[in-house]
Amino acid sequence: MEQNAEARRLVPQTEEPKRQLRRPEQPTPPAEKRAWFGKGVIYTGLIVLTIICFIPFLMMLTNATRSNEEVLSGFSLLPGTSLAENYAVLSDYVNIWSGFKNSLIISVLVTLLSGYFSALTAFGFAFYQFKGKNALFVFMLVMMMVPGQLGLIGFYELSKNLGLLDSFIPLIVPAIASPFVVFFVRQYIQTVMHPSLLEAARIDGASEWRIFHTIALPMMMPAIATMSIFTFIGSWNNYLMPLVLLFSPEKYTLPVLMGFLKGSQVAENLGSLYLGIAISVVPIMIAFLFLSKYIVSSISAGAVKE
Amino acid sequence: MRKKLISVMTVGTLAAGVLSGCSDSSGSTEKKDDVLKIWSFTDELKKPITKFEEKNGVKVELTIVPIADYPTKLKPALESGVGAPDIFTGEIAFLKQWVDAGYWANLSDDKFGADKIKDNYIPYVYDLGKDKDGNVRALSWQTTPGGVYYKRSLAKEVLGTDDPKEVGSMMSSMDGVFEVAEKMKQKGYKMFPDEGSIRWFSQGANPQPWVNENQELVLTQEKKDYMDYAKELRAKQYTALAPEWSPSWFEGMDKPIKVKENGKQTETQVFSYVLPTWGLHSVLKENAKTTAGDWAVTSGPSPYFWGGTWLGVYKDSKKQKLAYDFVKMMTQDDEFLTDWAKETGDVLAYTPVTDKIKSDFSDEFLGGQNNYEFFLDQAEKITPGIVTKYDQQLDTLYGASVLQYVEGKKSKDEAIEEFYKKVKNAYPDIKVNN
Amino acid sequence: MKKLDRYGYVFIAPFWVVFLTFSIYPVLLTLYYSFTNYSGAEGEQIVGLANYTRLLGDSYFIEAFFNTIKIWGVNFALQIGGALMLALLFSDLQLKLKGLAFFRAFFYLPNLITISSVALLFGILLDWQHGSLNMMLLKVGLIDEPISWLTQPVTAQLSASLILTWMWFGHSFIVVMAGVSGISKDYFEAALIDGATRWQIFSRITLPLLKPILLYIMITSLIGGLQLFDLPMLLTDGLGSPDGALNTMVLYLYNQAFKYNNYGYAAAVAYGLFIITLVFSIVIFKGMFRKEQAEKKGA
Repeated sequence: MEQNAEARRLVPQTEEPKRQLRRPEQPTPPAEKRAWFGKGVIYTGLIVLTIICFIPFLMMLTNATRSNEEVLSGFSLLPGTSLAENYAVLSDYVNIWSGFKNSLIISVLVTLLSGYFSALTAFGFAFYQFKGKNALFVFMLVMMMVPGQLGLIGFYELSKNLGLLDSFIPLIVPAIASPFVVFFVRQYIQTVMHPSLLEAARIDGASEWRIFHTIALPMMMPAIATMSIFTFIGSWNNYLMPLVLLFSPEKYTLPVLMGFLKGSQVAENLGSLYLGIAISVVPIMIAFLFLSKYIVSSISAGAVKE
Repeated sequence: MRKKLISVMTVGTLAAGVLSGCSDSSGSTEKKDDVLKIWSFTDELKKPITKFEEKNGVKVELTIVPIADYPTKLKPALESGVGAPDIFTGEIAFLKQWVDAGYWANLSDDKFGADKIKDNYIPYVYDLGKDKDGNVRALSWQTTPGGVYYKRSLAKEVLGTDDPKEVGSMMSSMDGVFEVAEKMKQKGYKMFPDEGSIRWFSQGANPQPWVNENQELVLTQEKKDYMDYAKELRAKQYTALAPEWSPSWFEGMDKPIKVKENGKQTETQVFSYVLPTWGLHSVLKENAKTTAGDWAVTSGPSPYFWGGTWLGVYKDSKKQKLAYDFVKMMTQDDEFLTDWAKETGDVLAYTPVTDKIKSDFSDEFLGGQNNYEFFLDQAEKITPGIVTKYDQQLDTLYGASVLQYVEGKKSKDEAIEEFYKKVKNAYPDIKVNN
Repeated sequence: MKKLDRYGYVFIAPFWVVFLTFSIYPVLLTLYYSFTNYSGAEGEQIVGLANYTRLLGDSYFIEAFFNTIKIWGVNFALQIGGALMLALLFSDLQLKLKGLAFFRAFFYLPNLITISSVALLFGILLDWQHGSLNMMLLKVGLIDEPISWLTQPVTAQLSASLILTWMWFGHSFIVVMAGVSGISKDYFEAALIDGATRWQIFSRITLPLLKPILLYIMITSLIGGLQLFDLPMLLTDGLGSPDGALNTMVLYLYNQAFKYNNYGYAAAVAYGLFIITLVFSIVIFKGMFRKEQAEKKGA
């Protein structure tokens, strides 16, 4: 239900300039020296900002290697020697890695389901004429505006009545219906795929399913990929739903496990607590190292639809 | 194109496979028939479980959920039966709610026969496990009267004696407590880790339930007075500003801790911790390593009790017999309980064992003091009828209001008013006559 | 309707089955509960509008509403201001700053971290006595007294705002940057030739052209902000401490439902939240629409 929170942040289109301005001649030469000085200030500012952005992580990492006593006694950016000890305390109470596994299973399945079924739905809406099509589409768009929390209590009761509490199913299956992804993919396929392509394939004797899987789906891939990033991040960060629906600690997702950590005996030892947080954060950072270009360009692409 | 189709299909089947796989795995815990599942909010059952596993050749899986989330997480599991444990524990603060909720099997039933062992328990412990119809739903191995644990070395230095009786008589009234606190301050020590430490004395001074039989909220004068005492402790800098259960609170048991006051950072030691029986083995012994042996326990201005863990069998458990075997070991097994008491210093509610061991009990951690006789003595002063199902949440809400007054954000009346309002908001069914 | 068009139904069927079951039905079920005194056990009674009348006079809900707006508002101002400034620096034709990819990635990073981890991390970093932040500031000499970040209402709300800004300004920066690079360079170059100052270029060219993107960021951020939950839940005690300053609407909903078992009332809180969100969205949309119309007429 909440997977789309991230996707909703996407921005459809900036305005294209309406009038063409006259061609420029040479730009006026800048006052070199002053600009150079100004640039120095700006770079310094940017670097300071970067450091501020990173300091919380730095504190987290160093504190994760220090003992409770050291953390309590003062601030330092030098790593300590209690990493192994902290890990022992941590793993005594909480299995962070199982949280990772659970979050990964859920997020991957959510992303796959949402991508595939949204494409299917978008395809159905884009290329077939049937009764009530427009009404259904508009209804879907309206429901897109409804915040996920609105149905929270009903969703909980529904899961309870279906016997689905404490399982991953109510966290995964609803991804089949992701209105925002459907909307985005439909807009996309309508611009890139001409209906005549569909007709041509039919004349060649392809079935409708086959057309979808072999022609339409590959063409929708760029849009699906863009959306998948947001679906994945949204699902990975989802806290409220799994918090309400899961109750066995071995099934907790990473965010729920973090909340669990806070109340557990791990919190008696600050070093271990920092380590627990660090373990939840560092793999994401490493993944981001490799994916940052892709993620940033997806946000840009999603933001400014060309 | 064909290749793409295949890859799409593979992803599809993969997804379907993993999906069915994961729904399997969510059910697989129930399939492991030989595993006995226990839920609790502390790790104190870890050792008994290992013993039980060895003795019976079964596997026991202990799930620990932090106490703040424990009722919220356990309730849906018990209600739906999904992922529900065979045994679960209940803390005294929400015990009342649960004995009447019907999640625990009726232990008075002949197949368990808990009625027959009635006389073997300290009466209040046995009675608290009964539902409103008088059926036993849960049993406990412990009794939880409270005391004040203090460091002998500091007592000797500041008070001139480390004898529990003498120190106890110095602290037999709130005025006495404040006198001792002032002496501690003179020498650079702190009486308590935080202001909340003394809340139990207000409970003990006039034991009343939070909510009486007419569903009315009861805020005793003693509880109101506690606000002033707490504020005085803070104002006179008698505490180390280390909130209960915080890392610095634990640190203060073992080592000097740093406190910032008047803009300066000073190092100080905490003299005493107000904790009940279980505080000895599950809190102090776990965290105070270098100060082991330097501790003693005595009484405060009024007797009080705090906490206690009951355990019972889930009504829909398929392994009720095995589950009750564990309950029996925990609560009625002479041999096990004798070992348990000697090892941990936990004060038992099971009289056949306590009668045997109390007279020559001594605990190394407490410098050889016989904490058993002390606590059994205190246990007789307990008024247990004051437990209600609202305790956990109301204690939390009142604590927050007290803190507002202590920190000077609200006047006393405003803080109390705020408390009333919050109670009304959380429990519309409680009558708040203010 | 052609024969093959039936496939339209087939293709959208899975979506609708799931959508009706897991989205629409829960919303309606919640609506039903909002008229009852449901407390988690069967046998609820219809209480009419009682929950809603209680909601209107519920000072905690009203407080939660204002808390949410305050926390979001400060965060949004900083977030969008920061993002705009950075975007302008990096798009300035004269400055030709390098390292856009690096800075952009760095500033964005906190946004990827699970907000629960962020909340937990700051919860201990901001501890007034033993938190690393105060310790660092004391050591560096920026402050003489530790700041009670999370125990005073104002600083707690400010902390929450700043944490949100820290998490989101990189995201907004990317989006604004994408918008800025969508603007034809011709505008800037022409303006430079005409001797326009930086400020003039910004206020006359960049800002107006970015308006749609900024408004969109605002609406989505507001909708997200009204649903603020994870951060206040895990930053302090989960009950809105200190003094209810971090009590947000969704946190209130959660506590009413799952902590105090007042499901019926919590359902009404959910609908209250929904109506508030709706009103805000309509007001913003309308404001945007009217302005555009006025502009058209003026032109």
